[in-house]
Amino acid sequence: MQRRDFMKASLILGTGSLITGNPLSLFSAQPQAVWVSGGEPLPLLQAAMGVFGGIQNFISKGDQVVIKPNIGWDRKPEQAANTNPELVAEVVKMCYEAGAAKVRIFDRTCNNPQRCYANSQIESFAKNYGAEVEQIRDFKFKDYSLPEGELLKEWPIYKDYLEADKIINMPIAKHHSMSRVSLGLKNLMGVMGGNRGSIHNNFTQKINDICAHILPTLTIIDAYRILLRNGPSGGNINDVSVEKTLIMSPCTVSADFMALNLFDLKVSEVPHIQEAIQRGLNKFDVDKLDVKKIDLS
Amino acid sequence: MARTRRIVQLILLFSFFYLFLRARYPYETIISSDLYLRFSPLAPLFYFIDSLELPLFFWPALIILFATIFLGRFFCGWICPLGTSLDIIDRVFKVPSNKISEKWVKLRWIKFAIFFSAIILAIFSVHIWGYFDPLAIFMRFTTIIFYPLATFFLEGLLILGTKLPFLESISYTIFESFKNIIMPESQSYFLGVMGILALLLFIFGLEKLSKRFWCRYLCPAGAWLGLLSQFRFYERIVGDSCPICNKCQIECKMNAIPRGNVKETHKVECIECFNCGEKCPPNAKSITYRFRWKPYHSKPDYNRRQFLGTSLAGIASLGLLSIGYRHKTSSYQLIRPPGSLPEEEFLDRCIRCLACVRICASNGKCLHPAGVERGILELWTPVAVMREGYCEYNCNLCGQICPTDAILPLSLEIKQKTPMGLAYFDKDLCIPFERHEDCIVCEEHCPTPDKAIKFDVKEAILPDGNRRFVKYPYVVRELCIGCGICEEKCPLPNLPGVFITRENEKRLESIA
Repeated sequence: MQRRDFMKASLILGTGSLITGNPLSLFSAQPQAVWVSGGEPLPLLQAAMGVFGGIQNFISKGDQVVIKPNIGWDRKPEQAANTNPELVAEVVKMCYEAGAAKVRIFDRTCNNPQRCYANSQIESFAKNYGAEVEQIRDFKFKDYSLPEGELLKEWPIYKDYLEADKIINMPIAKHHSMSRVSLGLKNLMGVMGGNRGSIHNNFTQKINDICAHILPTLTIIDAYRILLRNGPSGGNINDVSVEKTLIMSPCTVSADFMALNLFDLKVSEVPHIQEAIQRGLNKFDVDKLDVKKIDLS
Repeated sequence: MARTRRIVQLILLFSFFYLFLRARYPYETIISSDLYLRFSPLAPLFYFIDSLELPLFFWPALIILFATIFLGRFFCGWICPLGTSLDIIDRVFKVPSNKISEKWVKLRWIKFAIFFSAIILAIFSVHIWGYFDPLAIFMRFTTIIFYPLATFFLEGLLILGTKLPFLESISYTIFESFKNIIMPESQSYFLGVMGILALLLFIFGLEKLSKRFWCRYLCPAGAWLGLLSQFRFYERIVGDSCPICNKCQIECKMNAIPRGNVKETHKVECIECFNCGEKCPPNAKSITYRFRWKPYHSKPDYNRRQFLGTSLAGIASLGLLSIGYRHKTSSYQLIRPPGSLPEEEFLDRCIRCLACVRICASNGKCLHPAGVERGILELWTPVAVMREGYCEYNCNLCGQICPTDAILPLSLEIKQKTPMGLAYFDKDLCIPFERHEDCIVCEEHCPTPDKAIKFDVKEAILPDGNRRFVKYPYVVRELCIGCGICEEKCPLPNLPGVFITRENEKRLESIA
């Protein structure tokens, strides 16, 4: 959308809403979240982005963008332990089309980083569209103060993440043996330094202590393939279910909340997401979430 | 000729480092990185003693051995990377000429003694020659000292650059391309640096006594090649114009020109570096090199008495090596790479070159050179230390790179089903058992398709009387492959709550 078009549209919408006497309809043009199902990865993403009026509503010209997919494991895309590489590449393309100055991609991996970057295929796919797929460098973690934290008051966070203008969080929807699910909030562990294993004790408090301070611009949950059991590392193709779904929201907690439906879970069964809602980390009221549902099949 | 030799030496040294750098993930075997190690002239001999077979993968060494019969010890002068590095040291530091170092000539027998006692021990199936193999030694130095040192300083320098206000962005760019192209893996921290450093200082320090001290007096590969060079017919001919200035004798790298008779060459010692021709004064120009079929015998400096002494010493050390205390408890930590031969054969075959340790450092980082705590023969053999690294589930590169197949080149599929050990929980330490709090980081990382670490959910009664459901992990022995990622990732700060033992390891005799 060009600036002129945007001004025109807002003028029309604005006057329109004034005439009808409901200024709120100006905002309701954009839903709070999108749930697209029944398609291949790229159509899913394009449909979802279309509902939000294109990525240019999130990314401005000259932005330094960070895309944070899940590249945590030395697994192939079919094993559904890492984010779908086609989706990541397409988001890179969209960001550059919207005028982003630079798109960086990284994740602090659990297995050997070179292997994860290669076998997830995210490195090769994203590089094709000009993304800078960089290995995590230890010296780039900076102690970050967490004034709202209950248990943690400080944690090392990756510098490039903190310095980015816009952040697109791209988790894959997975079962997780400890936290029940691994979604948008859990995916942000990939920018945390230090002894991450220790976050696992009192996980509910600690993950929210940190995430509250580093929430992204946009969250795109890849649920094309999801891991139903033995997450987060998986490794058994029988644990993978092809759901052909994608969830997108500017609010990570809302996106996570919706994604629980994929696993037939109630929020009361997933303490870390419940805690996030109790702490008010959600931008939207999750009980009255305005979700646009699209079925491509 | 001397100049050509120097160029060849440098090219081969760089190709050694190039192959070394390529020994990492993703490993392409077009030029396999263990190629250089298979140049070792000792390897086929001792492999033959061990198994009475001459496998063709030793072709580089076999070519060298064959050529040595006619050409002499050209391997030492032209190819050996340890020899080249000693030559470089001789250029940088002042080293004594043969006038001063003449007194050490009587030590020449030591290299034969090392060589023959290694043979005697090998006949009784104790293989120690790898400790003295010059290629294995150089690989050891490069893996444990040169490369980690280079990483430390180069990385440090480039990171320092990123702190400079004006150079920040360009420094990052340089750093990234340096890391991506030359040193992708992070800094390695190895066990046993001091032992290998001591060997390095010993071999390089001996240059203060004479040029190529190691090659002249200690190297068993030199002894073996020397014994083979009796028929060499590429010779140094000293013409009648020779003014007998003794320059060639004084400057000879190997002291192979007898004092008082510059026209002769000691065939066993000469490494064909062609320095003598270069040193010959321009007005004399009396040294030429020619093919000449006129065999004569150069007697090795090794007499019958010394041979008998060596044999006795070899047999005595055979006994001494066998009566050492075998520590049953601590041997639980002796976890070998996946695909290792049964322990006895593994020790016979392994040349302690640490190529596996090098390639592991770019993957799971579990392999380290072992110390002598459990036995002298385990020194510098690869051992997996799981607290600082683990065996990468999708990696089988240690077997691919092993030059002697002490670690078999297993296919990934077989490697993933070959246990290296078995995990045990220490319930006094493990967080769920000890504090009744959820953790199960180990289960999360367990890589097997059917997880070897599973957990029970049980209700725990807390000290304050409250109740809570907690996940308690346990190991399924039949599924565990001992990869050690559970031990490495255990979030406890010091002692881990889960650890790998050697128990349940599966050793294979062959790939089939």
